[in-house]
Amino acid sequence: MNQTIVSYLSQYEFYDVLLNLFGNNQGLLAFAIYLIVALVVVGFCATVGGLGTYAERKISADLQARMGPNRVGPYGLLQFLADGVKMLTKEDIMPYTADKFLFYLAPLLALVGVFATLAVLPWSSGFMMADLNVGVFYLIAISSLVGLAVFLGGYASNSKWSMLGGMRGASQIISYEIPVTLSVLAITLLAGGMSFGTILSHQEGTIVNWFIFHNPFAFIAFFVYGIGAMAETNRAPFDLPEAESELVSGYHTEYTGLRFGFFALAEYIEVFVVCGVGTALFLGGGNLPFNISIDIIPTQFAQVVIFVTKTCLLYYVVIWARWTLPRLRVDQLMSVCWKYLTPIAIFNLVGCAIWLVMFNGKSLADLVFGSH
Amino acid sequence: MTPAQFDGLMPIVILMGIAVVMFFGGHFLTVLLSPKKPSHLKSMPYECGEIPVGSAWSSFNIRFYVVGLIFIIFDVESVLMFPVAAIFRELVDMGHGGYALIIFLSFISVLLEGIGYCWKKGDLDWVKSYQVSLKNNK
Amino acid sequence: MFIELLFLTSALLTVGSAIGAAVTRNIMHSCVFLLGSLLGIAGLYATLGADFVAVSQIMVYVGGVVILMLFAVMLTGGKDFVSRAQNLLGLAPAMGNKWTYTIGLLTALVVVLTNVKLITNVVKAYPAKVIGNDFPSTVNQIGHLLVKEHVLAFELSSVLLLGALVGAAIIARPRRQG
Repeated sequence: MNQTIVSYLSQYEFYDVLLNLFGNNQGLLAFAIYLIVALVVVGFCATVGGLGTYAERKISADLQARMGPNRVGPYGLLQFLADGVKMLTKEDIMPYTADKFLFYLAPLLALVGVFATLAVLPWSSGFMMADLNVGVFYLIAISSLVGLAVFLGGYASNSKWSMLGGMRGASQIISYEIPVTLSVLAITLLAGGMSFGTILSHQEGTIVNWFIFHNPFAFIAFFVYGIGAMAETNRAPFDLPEAESELVSGYHTEYTGLRFGFFALAEYIEVFVVCGVGTALFLGGGNLPFNISIDIIPTQFAQVVIFVTKTCLLYYVVIWARWTLPRLRVDQLMSVCWKYLTPIAIFNLVGCAIWLVMFNGKSLADLVFGSH
Repeated sequence: MTPAQFDGLMPIVILMGIAVVMFFGGHFLTVLLSPKKPSHLKSMPYECGEIPVGSAWSSFNIRFYVVGLIFIIFDVESVLMFPVAAIFRELVDMGHGGYALIIFLSFISVLLEGIGYCWKKGDLDWVKSYQVSLKNNK
Repeated sequence: MFIELLFLTSALLTVGSAIGAAVTRNIMHSCVFLLGSLLGIAGLYATLGADFVAVSQIMVYVGGVVILMLFAVMLTGGKDFVSRAQNLLGLAPAMGNKWTYTIGLLTALVVVLTNVKLITNVVKAYPAKVIGNDFPSTVNQIGHLLVKEHVLAFELSSVLLLGALVGAAIIARPRRQG
């Protein structure tokens, strides 16, 4: 019923060979496959996160007519590796007033929260690690661990900058979760399910079948989702928790070395995940164009490539927004969330429900071109 | 759920495990590689060069708490709406679209009443909330 | 095998964190231990096949209630309000003397034993019935129950939440001085 990578591979012959190798122990083989795939996914995402820092610096340099990093490797591409090594060799400093237990725990929570979201990310129709029935809902829920980590990191440092950043971060993340959840609810309405498999199967075919073009309300919902997601990942123009010109570095001011690295890694992977979810919910995910239904392993890889390309395009937009828009004030931040985005998101939700009932679930393209 | 479906939980647990292993592995590497020259000045909370006065743990503004409260209400509402939204299309296909729409809209309208009330009373304002509510409490 | 392991981990996390929450003297740590306990309970729901309930648990409690509790603690200024007095082997904060603890333990034992006694009879009388096979997932089952049999509860819950929202707004509003 729900496709996972194990059930996908089990239709091929080499699965039986592998099964024999593991002494016909289904569970053990599934564990081995999941472990390998998880390591690959984590490695890939860590690289994307690392390259994200590079892309961020390079793109910002482009926008500001500078050079950006250009010393380590060709075009400075290996800069993130150098940064990683540097972080490893930095002294581990903890303020003597800090709450030691929570100071250790906060980066761990951020990492766990972000890595757990990777499980449901739909790379392709076959290469999904877990296609839970509660897919999107699970993703929203588990990523709230990151908000908690931001708050605890700010609190545990016992520094005034960190504390302010942590409080701002937590209230911002929970506030913007509401418009994001409501936009996701609208897509749940349209798809008739929360699992990514269901959502993607409704967007097969040409570009007009994407949910963003399903109806005008879904189109607005995409932008509400995008703004909310940017705020949830603390990206500028919503980077108040770590606003460098007013709070030094916000909630991770006191973090040094690898623990700071974990926070940064979690943040960059979260941006990737959020962009990936936006791709899957609104932009057709990794679906091949024109209903190509040949299901062999190369087409699966093609889907992965399409998915990652779309996600990286969204990632580019996020970076672009960061370096072109000024930061909001705290009161503006809250009024944008509660007075604009949330009512608009509710309006979209109602609009989608009415559209579904009025047009019997047909999309705008179905009505215009008269298919079905 | 059949046993095979529980496998859906396995990657989540594995990924969380990887996060934990990575965290402690990274910590171990730091212990191995990084210099250790602690000094009192170095481990002072950073306040741009000033010597910090007092603790950062002081009582915070109640506005954060109000935001948290409103958030929880919306959170619970969305939890209740998710299963209904998931079967909404099914109901439309079965021909019960109007019925489903009425149920869904009446639920949302109550939610809208709540946000309208908070808006009107100024609980959603960040800066002005004190003055506005003073006016309302008279 | 996997399910047993998951159950064991979740149960240990739940119980261990609950003990930690009760024993620790720092109120912030107590909140964080509570977070572990709530996560463990979500894991327990997941082992029972109730995926929607498990995720709701994470969404509402981990994402909402724990953060709200932390905010509430921060209203009082965090760690400065730690209780220094302690009792019973110096472990727990002063919630009573040894008699309180003894009586509490005895009461808990009696309650648990009575409940187990009652529940075993019920379980024996009504063996587990497999329901909901015609639904593809628990989400759909819950959805159908919410719009059909329990539609009144569904609608009333929104009114209840409206009441909670208004109440929260009124309580948190600053009062006029004097």
